[in-house]
Amino acid sequence: MKYMILLYGSQQDYDVLAGKPTDKPPMSAEDIAAMHAYMGSYHQKLIESGEFVDARGLTAPVHARRVQLQNRTPVVTDGPYPETQEVLAGYTIVEFESFDRATEIAAGLVNPDAPGEYVDIRPVIDGIEDLVA
Amino acid sequence: MTVDRVEDLLRQLAPQVLGALVRRYGHFDTAEDAVQEALLAAATQWPTDGQPDNPRAWLITVASRRLTDLLRGEQARRRREDSVAQWTLPEQWLAPAADRPATDSDDTLILLFMCCHPSLSPAAQIALTLRAVGGLTTAEIARAFLVPEATMTRRITRAKQRIKDSGIPFGMPSGAERAERLAVVLHVLYLIFNEGYAATSGPQLHRSELSAEAIRLARLVHRLLPDDSEVAGLLGLMLLTDARRPARTGPDGALVPMAEQNRSLWHAGQIAEGIALVTAALPRGVTGPYQLQAAIAAIHDEAPSAEATDWPQIVALYEVLMRLSDNPVVALNHAVAVAMVRGPEAGLDLLEKLAADERIADDHRVYAVRAHLLEMSGDHPAAVAAYRAAADRTTSLPQQRYLHTRAARLT
Repeated sequence: MKYMILLYGSQQDYDVLAGKPTDKPPMSAEDIAAMHAYMGSYHQKLIESGEFVDARGLTAPVHARRVQLQNRTPVVTDGPYPETQEVLAGYTIVEFESFDRATEIAAGLVNPDAPGEYVDIRPVIDGIEDLVA
Repeated sequence: MTVDRVEDLLRQLAPQVLGALVRRYGHFDTAEDAVQEALLAAATQWPTDGQPDNPRAWLITVASRRLTDLLRGEQARRRREDSVAQWTLPEQWLAPAADRPATDSDDTLILLFMCCHPSLSPAAQIALTLRAVGGLTTAEIARAFLVPEATMTRRITRAKQRIKDSGIPFGMPSGAERAERLAVVLHVLYLIFNEGYAATSGPQLHRSELSAEAIRLARLVHRLLPDDSEVAGLLGLMLLTDARRPARTGPDGALVPMAEQNRSLWHAGQIAEGIALVTAALPRGVTGPYQLQAAIAAIHDEAPSAEATDWPQIVALYEVLMRLSDNPVVALNHAVAVAMVRGPEAGLDLLEKLAADERIADDHRVYAVRAHLLEMSGDHPAAVAAYRAAADRTTSLPQQRYLHTRAARLT
């Protein structure tokens, strides 16, 4: 089964990574480099074990567009998020035998030094049949 | 790295960087501001700190960061509902994407199409093209058009707002629309060139930086669309016209008419390049107005003197041009050429017809041509009156001086 691990962040979290002053405690350049190195090696192990499918980071929420239809016409809203709202910031897709193994791996993606940080895991369906079954 | 070379490079990269930004993130208006700030940062940093290994990537990174900051500032200021935009999806968007990835040159061309959007006034198209594609600062554009910087800032801001509000997608216009839109782009470049060559107001006859910029942009479009014969024709026309610039004014800044110009001052390199462009373009496809005008300019440039000019050929080309478009300025030039072949009376007869055309009847050029033809025919009192009437109708000081001098010679 494939699992999607969703990582969240607010505009503030992006700012912390960019070294900008925010209400949150700042991260030093070394902290950030260490975090990138950790994420790199963590994913590298998943690649080596054959469990890795895909992982991506998303740009800052200010670059989001929301598309809705009004009277069948697309209506686009630019970056609809307040600065502190947490939005999807990246994802890792992995393939495991069990949800529990996925949970273990997901736990490794949460920053132990960031109180309140979380990730979500969502099992991925293979096709429309999985939904109706 | 000298300041000049940095500037050349930045002007060349400006549309590529803006294109990349708008393609990736949208927000044409804000992205344009972000690119200007990145260009400014580069212009101050590179000459002292050295140029980065990949200048284009550096500019895109700096401009993207700046865009993020600017967008957040905007978001904080206005409510979410304000940013809602209606989109109209053309049917062809649902078709598969083109079979090749977009390139930097596509981006530059798309930007030109955006800046020359038909919903904008020509003045706005020109200003926006010079800034977004030409990479000129608002201050430089304001100086070139002799308006206060605040006026030009407003003009550009309104133009960008209009583009944003109209929801023009960042993409190449398709099919028939593309040809129409290209015609607008070429016309804007032509207007920029003319504004530089025959400044419509102010103490200087030329604002050569505008002509040089128009030539640079026309070269760019020619490089992107090498098979379009009207693009080649426009570039040829600009080069062949601009080649005469050194002889066009005397040491005192006064206008020298073509018949009296020192032809050895003409720019031989530009003439050769212009003629090569026209020669290559003419046999290809439909012969459009720019090619015809370039062909006429080429005949002038190749003639050793005004008398030795192939005027019958010029008359013939103007007649083709008149069949293509009902343009009174073309008819006026035709009258001059006819006078050179068949005598001043024949030219004056044609002018009579033009005097009934209200689009041009009160234009100083009609009076100036009439004055020259009357002088040729020996009717000096009438010529003097016509020269003075022409001078009253032009806002260009060098032209006024020239016309008054011609009148004074005959009294």
